[in-house]
Amino acid sequence: MLTQAEFLQPLARRRADQIVVSTMSLVRAWGRLSKHELDFAFADSAMGHAQSLALGIALAQPQRRVLCLNGDGSMLMSLGSLVTIAQCRARNLILFIAQNNTYEVTGNQNIPGAGAVDFHNIALACGFPAAFHFSDAREYEAQLDKLLHLQGPILISVRLEPGHEPPPNRKQTEDTPYLRGSLADSVHRLHDVLMRTE
Amino acid sequence: MLTTRRVLETFKQIGITHVVGLPDNSTAALFHALADDPDIYLITVTREGEAFATAAGLWIGGQKPLVVIQNTGLLESGDALRGALIRMRIPVVCLVSYRGIKSLPNPPPPLTPDELSRREVDSVAALLEPTLRAWNLSYELVGDNSDLEKIVAAQQRALQNNFPHFILIADTIR
Repeated sequence: MLTQAEFLQPLARRRADQIVVSTMSLVRAWGRLSKHELDFAFADSAMGHAQSLALGIALAQPQRRVLCLNGDGSMLMSLGSLVTIAQCRARNLILFIAQNNTYEVTGNQNIPGAGAVDFHNIALACGFPAAFHFSDAREYEAQLDKLLHLQGPILISVRLEPGHEPPPNRKQTEDTPYLRGSLADSVHRLHDVLMRTE
Repeated sequence: MLTTRRVLETFKQIGITHVVGLPDNSTAALFHALADDPDIYLITVTREGEAFATAAGLWIGGQKPLVVIQNTGLLESGDALRGALIRMRIPVVCLVSYRGIKSLPNPPPPLTPDELSRREVDSVAALLEPTLRAWNLSYELVGDNSDLEKIVAAQQRALQNNFPHFILIADTIR
């Protein structure tokens, strides 16, 4: 089992110009590691739909890689979207599932099917060309360089220890810069950045 | 009468790049045509909430998506609509097929338990416009090719306001 830091720090060290969409307990955790203009916090938004927003960005921007940092509870809310992602063959999309088997931001209640749900095999059954699961930090980091360059869509589930992140908010007092604006401001800022750097 | 050819021409007139949605009987011909259309990318989703979030992502990335769903799906996907297109202020036109419109009495029925459970009235039709009004979402009815300019106007209004605009499809697209 990995800690949240063992999951995110290797990813942050390797992050180049990919767009990163984070949600729920991963929003603040990623924001502590990255201040990139292509980071987007899917917070104060449509719960369970971060991967669909990431799919849309990936299809719109095929020249860029899009990384979606999703939770297991969030993923369960829209499992059908895995079929949509596979159908769209978004080659530049990597979907990470942080599998801690709990709804972390509400105090670690068990998700349905905690410990039994096998996201990477579900993804393969939905038509993903490749999917992976890691429960060992060394193995995850050893494979990460290769995984980040694979043709997507790919799903990577990572077995994490339960954490203690509170729900992400959008306030001026947030330590995480990408949570300080409104959701609409963040969306339109990212749109402007992508149009400027296209 | 609403025809697929004219609807597609209208989509292209306003520069639509992607249609995201889920077919029903009244939009089936449109989805068949979109599947073969070389200019507009069709994304068929498994549930309507996906359509709003995917459309938002497409717009963020610089594309011009349009959503096509049934009114049942609109009610199913309320929080995705709120949290994506509304909360994010995404200028996207959403076509919603008006299932059951012909079952509505004139004037529309009161939304009482008795009326909402009457078998002669399709309750999703009875709830559609009151729901949109309650959410302060602007909409127009389109039931004939002569109404299609309303889609052009809806796109302009969406762009002006950075906000979704709804078109209710009141007849089968043939």
